[in-house]
Amino acid sequence: MYVSTKGVKKKKMVVRQYQEELKYLEKINNYCWRIKKGFQPNMNVEGIFYVNNTLEKLMLEELRNACKPGGIGGFLPGVKQIANVAALPGIVGKSVGLPDVHSGYGFAIGNMAAFDMNNPKSIVSPGGVGFDINCGVRLLRTNLFEKDVAPVKEQLAQSMFDHIPVGVGSKGIIPMTARDLEEALEMGMDWSLREGYVWAEDKEHCEEYGRMLNADPSKVSMRAKKRGLPQLGTLGAGNHYAEIQIVDEIYNKWAASKMGIEEKGQVCVMIHSGSRGFGHQVATDALVQMEKAMKRDNIETNDRQLACAHINSREGQDYLKSMAAAANFAWVNRSSMTFLSRQAFAKQFHMSPDDLDMHVIYDVSHNIAKIEEHIVDGKQKTLLVHRKGSTRAFPPHHPLIPVDYQLTGQPVLIGGTMGTCSYVLTGTEQGMQETFGSTCHGAGRALSRAKSRRNLDYKEVLDKLEELGISIRVASPKLVMEEAPESYKNVTDVVNTCHAAGISHKCIKLRPIAVIKG
Amino acid sequence: MFERKLKALDYIDWDKVNGNDVQHFRKLVTWLEDQKIRHYRIEDRKELRDINSENWPQTFAKYCSDVACPITTCPLDQLEWLLGFAIRLEFEDDHKNYQQATGNKAKNKQEAAVPCVKSSNPLDNLDFESNDFKNGVNVIAKILQVPQHPNHLITLEACSKIVCKRLNPSALENPNSVIVKGKAFPILEADLGFDMGDKVLNTAAKILRLLYIHDIRDLQTKINEAIVSVQNITANPKTDTKLGKVGI
Repeated sequence: MYVSTKGVKKKKMVVRQYQEELKYLEKINNYCWRIKKGFQPNMNVEGIFYVNNTLEKLMLEELRNACKPGGIGGFLPGVKQIANVAALPGIVGKSVGLPDVHSGYGFAIGNMAAFDMNNPKSIVSPGGVGFDINCGVRLLRTNLFEKDVAPVKEQLAQSMFDHIPVGVGSKGIIPMTARDLEEALEMGMDWSLREGYVWAEDKEHCEEYGRMLNADPSKVSMRAKKRGLPQLGTLGAGNHYAEIQIVDEIYNKWAASKMGIEEKGQVCVMIHSGSRGFGHQVATDALVQMEKAMKRDNIETNDRQLACAHINSREGQDYLKSMAAAANFAWVNRSSMTFLSRQAFAKQFHMSPDDLDMHVIYDVSHNIAKIEEHIVDGKQKTLLVHRKGSTRAFPPHHPLIPVDYQLTGQPVLIGGTMGTCSYVLTGTEQGMQETFGSTCHGAGRALSRAKSRRNLDYKEVLDKLEELGISIRVASPKLVMEEAPESYKNVTDVVNTCHAAGISHKCIKLRPIAVIKG
Repeated sequence: MFERKLKALDYIDWDKVNGNDVQHFRKLVTWLEDQKIRHYRIEDRKELRDINSENWPQTFAKYCSDVACPITTCPLDQLEWLLGFAIRLEFEDDHKNYQQATGNKAKNKQEAAVPCVKSSNPLDNLDFESNDFKNGVNVIAKILQVPQHPNHLITLEACSKIVCKRLNPSALENPNSVIVKGKAFPILEADLGFDMGDKVLNTAAKILRLLYIHDIRDLQTKINEAIVSVQNITANPKTDTKLGKVGI
């Protein structure tokens, strides 16, 4: 029987009161809750989510609101979404909610789930990757210190703003032809390397070496390519930003030193961006295909938004190939912005980017599905790991992390919200075992975009940033309140929960002194 | 033309044959049939032997098809095939004899590959197990601060590595190129990722990890160098600020 979202929601919510819902949730320890089978229909595995006291309240509050008669519109509460994902065919281990989890399309943002590649029933779901395919964070270091940058902060912010076009409908300054785009989609960061936009060492310090090999541009619609072509090298809007940041705290000096961070006060550049309209179109196209495939193959889910297809079906394979092309697009995009940031710094300081030591520390993807090897119940298995609003966090000695980080574990870049701090974490063995080597990705929304617009005033938001001494360049100030720190969970809560739960460890804290955004 | 094959078949004029000369060509074909191939009975060879006949080309064509020559286009190629065919027949008649010949030859060759040169290098005449030699190795190891392995040859290998890597002429000229920079990492406190239940074994495993990481770093550096050398040819980054457009 096919159950529609609304059907489930209405039926379950009305029949079951909040107190009864709580019976399906069990607090395992101070940082971890279990979602038992039965919380949502047909759960194949249990769910789990990581929260501290503060985040726990937010999480349960959301559920309580949804249980009220009449309920709220929009998405299901995150905890319900985690449970619905646990009901998808072929899922193994647990459906995992990270501390920054919040409702999203189908999958909650901050949800990771792994599916057994050798089970013919296993599925791939675009909702489990998200619309901004391979949205991610890149961190560049410099050998500058706050005292070098502070006097020219405004000029530097302006220079970055001039180099990196931002906002909805922005166009990049790197000339691209349709043929360049085809090559870039196939080659990812190798294209940027070939054309000379980035350094050889950048590739080394990039998840997946900046290129998914199964990308097939021929599986991508013309519409997606048309949308994507002018947008390469642009930051986009929404929560995307480029920030000039200062090292504020070092928690693990050895790991930090491996990343080239030696002292507090050192200047870094963080770029948070994705595949722009291109990835959005790829995901939209795939959803249409998958709805058809679901009917044909009789795949049942608890939520219509969890559209999916068997991994080995034509639709499943086509999606993976086009998703890989979108991932490559995002890497080329972040590489282009790396190039532009280096130019901006070089012009400001009259030094070459080389002399400024502007190396890429790392580049992570937090919206992606990848084929990985994991140990499940003592057996090695090949899994399709969906990470939506979740960052890969592999432990020390993992073969897929760069040689420079073999001893420290993979650097995990956690972008905060505009004006708050950001973190660098490192992957742990415990995370590998508990969460398939995954951790949080950022702050995670607490207020919906619409609610933020209603409740906050953009002038106040901008004034507050100024008070904090943060230079800001923004294309559409009226949308700034959507991204105001008040709209988000506290990133420090999120990161501390990951650290305390042991699924990744704190390494460096960064605070912004200049922000540019859409 | 066909000199080697003709010589192998003991053709008298092996070095004088010109395949483009009609007389030469026909004479050779007749000889091959008479002496080597012997496909026809003697009385049936009359037409083939009549090398001045106008009909000889037709006779030749028929002969070729009779001996199942797969080539029909160029007479020279057909002749070449006939020569090869003759050689094969000749070999098959007496293959045991020939096989031995090749076998012996191969053996001789292998023997020749083993060097029998008397060394004039004094190092080759050293007794590597003599106490004198062992003491020498230990002294070198002490000077180079190399820990001594129970097997002095392994100690020597370690010394040799240090000399090759750190004491070669270019390293001596430019010591900064080989001195490792950066801070030491507290490897012994680092997480190994597994536990073998024995402190000594765990330490050994950590050292193996380090050696492995060292190798991979070398490999990655070489990969980067390769990328850079390709970039020198292909790179041409461009920007055009006229294209830029800030959104809303």
